[in-house]
Amino acid sequence: MVFQESFEWYIALYLFLGGVGAGAILSAAFADLYNREKYVNYIKSASLIGMPAVAIGSFFLLLDLGQGLTKPWLLIYLFANPTSAITWGTAILSLFIIVSLMYAAYNFKIIKFGGGKLTLVSLIILAIGTAGYTGVLLGVLKAIPFWHQTLIPALFIISAMSTGISATVVVKEILFRKEKEDIAPFETGHFYLMVLEFIMVFAMIIIALNGVPEMVYSIKVLLAGKYAVQFWLIFMILGLLLPTFLYGLQEVKKLHMKGNFLIIVELLVLIGGYYLRYLILHAGVYTEKFSHYIG
Amino acid sequence: MSKNKKYVMVYAIDRCVDCKACMVACKAQWEVPEDYFRTHIDEKYSPDKLAANRKYFLPSQCNHCDEAPCVSVCPTKASHKREDGIVYVDRDICIGCKYCIVSCPYDARFFNEEVGVAEKCTFCLPWIQEGHQPACVTTCLSNTRIFGDINDPNSEVSKVLAEAKKNKSKIWKLREDLGTEPNIYYVQS
Repeated sequence: MVFQESFEWYIALYLFLGGVGAGAILSAAFADLYNREKYVNYIKSASLIGMPAVAIGSFFLLLDLGQGLTKPWLLIYLFANPTSAITWGTAILSLFIIVSLMYAAYNFKIIKFGGGKLTLVSLIILAIGTAGYTGVLLGVLKAIPFWHQTLIPALFIISAMSTGISATVVVKEILFRKEKEDIAPFETGHFYLMVLEFIMVFAMIIIALNGVPEMVYSIKVLLAGKYAVQFWLIFMILGLLLPTFLYGLQEVKKLHMKGNFLIIVELLVLIGGYYLRYLILHAGVYTEKFSHYIG
Repeated sequence: MSKNKKYVMVYAIDRCVDCKACMVACKAQWEVPEDYFRTHIDEKYSPDKLAANRKYFLPSQCNHCDEAPCVSVCPTKASHKREDGIVYVDRDICIGCKYCIVSCPYDARFFNEEVGVAEKCTFCLPWIQEGHQPACVTTCLSNTRIFGDINDPNSEVSKVLAEAKKNKSKIWKLREDLGTEPNIYYVQS
C-alpha cells in the first residue's frame, strides 16, 4: 500500500481552522437567533475567533500552494472549474469570510447595520457549508478509499461545531471572564456533540475494518500502526474521552468547570480536533492499481 | 473523414525485464526532479501462489484517462484532456494545490517542488509532435512499450491489439471498475 504524501500538516491545519471558525460562527448565529441579549459576550467571542480562524486557515492553504504566492494572479483561476470541490470551497469560504467579518463588525458596533435574520440565516448556511466542505474535499476522492466515506463530512461538521464552541469559550474566558454570562445550553450542547463525535469515530472504525483492503490498512495504521500513540493518547483519550467525561460530570452537577481549568479542557478538545484531521489525512493510502497481483 | 488522433500505449508485459531504462530515459528527457519518476515498474506475483507461481514486472505511468479524476478535480483547469487524448498539465495555470495528486487512483502524479506544479507523464508532448516516439518507447530494449494512435487501424498499437485479440491473449487496463476509462493496455499472452 502507498501512503498519500501530498496533503501534509498545512492542509490538516487548514481543515481544522476552517472547522473552528465555522463552528464558532454557527453556534453564535444560533445563540443570536435564540436570545441575543443573554449571550452577547459569547456572540462577541465567537465573532472574534470565527472569521480570523477561517482566514488564517486559508492562509495556510495559500502557503501550501506551489505557485499561489509567487503568482497571485493565478488565484482567480480557483473559480474556473465547477466540477472541482476546491472551486466550491473557494466560493463558500470567500463568502463566509466576508459575511462573518461584517457580522463581527456589527457585534462590536463598528457598523450600525447588521442585516438582521437574513445575515444570521446566511451565516448558518455558510458555516455548515464551510465545515462540510472540509470533509467533502476528502470525501469525493475515490483514489483514497479511507477518505471516500459519507461519514467524513458529517464527522467533520460535528467536530467543527465542537471545536468552534471550545475556541469561543477560550476567548470568552480570556476576555469576558468578569462578566458572569451563563452559557449552560452551549455546555450541554457541547457534551452531546462530543458523544456524537465518539459514536461517529466508532462507526468509522467499524466500517473501515470491514471495508476494502485499503481501508482496513488505513484504520490499522491508526489503531495499531505507526500513528497508534497519536490516535489513542492524543486524539481519543486526551482530545475526546477525557473532555467528554468531564463535561458529563458537569451535566450531572458533580463538577463545575471554570477559569483556567475550563480553558485547559477546551484546549484539549481543540488539540483533539486538529489530530482528528491530521490522522485521517496521514492514514490515507492509494487504491491498489495492480489488484490482480500480490506484492 | 479524418478522425481525431487518440494516443494510447500498450505494454506487452511478458517482455519486460525490469531494466528500468524507461524510467531513466524519461527522467533524462524531461529533467524530472530528484527522487521522482514519471513511470515506474512494480514487481508483483501471480495470486495463485501454489499453481504457477510467477513474478511479473508491471510498468505503470499516467493512464491518460478519458474520465480522468485529476481533470474533474482541478480547480484551475490546468489539468485538461487534449483532443489527441493526452491529459496535460498547463504549468502556466497550475496553482500547485496538489488535489489532482491525491485524486489519481494510479498514483501517477507527484509534486514538483522546484516549479511548484503537479507533474506526470505527457506521452512526451511536445516531442511526439515532431514525429518522435516517447523516450520510454524509444529506449525500451525488449519492445515492451508500444505507442501510437488507436484510431488509426494501421498504427502499431492497433495491429498489436488486434493480434492479441486474435491470439486470445489477456488484455486489460488498470482498475477499470473505477470508471476512469484508462488508455494504457496491458497485454499478456
